[in-house]
Amino acid sequence: MNETEFLTLIDQHQGIIHKICRLYRDSPQDREDLFQEIVFKLWKAAPQFRGEAKFSSWMYRVALSTAIAVYRKKKPDIRFMPAVPDSPEMPNQPDEQREQLFLALKQLNDADKALITLYLEDLSYQEIAEIAGISESNVGARLNRIRSKIQQLLKK
Amino acid sequence: MEGDALQSAWQQMTASQRTNTELQAMMKENTHPVLKRIRKQLIIETIAFTAFLFVYYDFFDGDRKPVYANVLLVSAMLLVILHNIPGYMMARQTINSDNIKQSLQVQLKKMRTYAALSIAARVLTSACLLLFFTSVITFTTQKSWLLAVLIAVMVVQLGWLAVIWLKRIRQMRTTIDLFQ
Repeated sequence: MNETEFLTLIDQHQGIIHKICRLYRDSPQDREDLFQEIVFKLWKAAPQFRGEAKFSSWMYRVALSTAIAVYRKKKPDIRFMPAVPDSPEMPNQPDEQREQLFLALKQLNDADKALITLYLEDLSYQEIAEIAGISESNVGARLNRIRSKIQQLLKK
Repeated sequence: MEGDALQSAWQQMTASQRTNTELQAMMKENTHPVLKRIRKQLIIETIAFTAFLFVYYDFFDGDRKPVYANVLLVSAMLLVILHNIPGYMMARQTINSDNIKQSLQVQLKKMRTYAALSIAARVLTSACLLLFFTSVITFTTQKSWLLAVLIAVMVVQLGWLAVIWLKRIRQMRTTIDLFQ
């Protein structure tokens, strides 16, 4: 794979890298660092990509492994707001709903985050099992448990 | 939110897109955030320890110490500098096994090796420094106590370093267990 082909593929799939960074890191700086780390690791691993699997499957595998394996210090996410909002935002707006979903996903452990990411990206149980390295039946059982947990977290 | 609603909410999430020029810059080793930090540390430590090696002979009476003590001090300084190199190599390696679980197992193995190396380097450096500064001292009770305190401080530091590594290793092992 040459540089141009790699850049085209990354450009097409960069949305998923952003989501992984948001899911696994709290501060904007850490997300930025992880985004760069993932792109770097993908490029370093690109010569080993033989095209036997889909590029997206290979990318999920490298990106998620990098997000989990690369050590990060636990830092509190402190952000200074320019002003205190006068009233709470309107609930049930699409953006609010997506934000709530993200907050719920962030409370999962690293392995569950990876499994649910692959599920939400519409991968089959077989593909998820191959990428994660667990059995297909385990994927099904785990996803059921994760979905119930998310529902509970969203109800709170 | 049901399964489909979750998927649709997830797929509607958007983020600012990076340009090809930005992505191209991220592929280069010299802009990599972690590698940049390690390189900076390596350069600063190399300059600081080289400067120290130039002046220690006068400042710490290297000429009055036995040759083995001088050799040990230089070795200690070199160890501090050199032990960063495997860390740099580890950070630039690819993470590309057959699946996530295997990738994490490989990373855990590397982490264990580097942790052992890091602790061994710290032990050897501390021992070399102690031997250099105590090589020509005639020990009195007071000096022996002072040495004991110094050794205790070094042991505490080493213990702290070991605890940090053990915590990281345990955290990684727990995550791998979650993939069973």
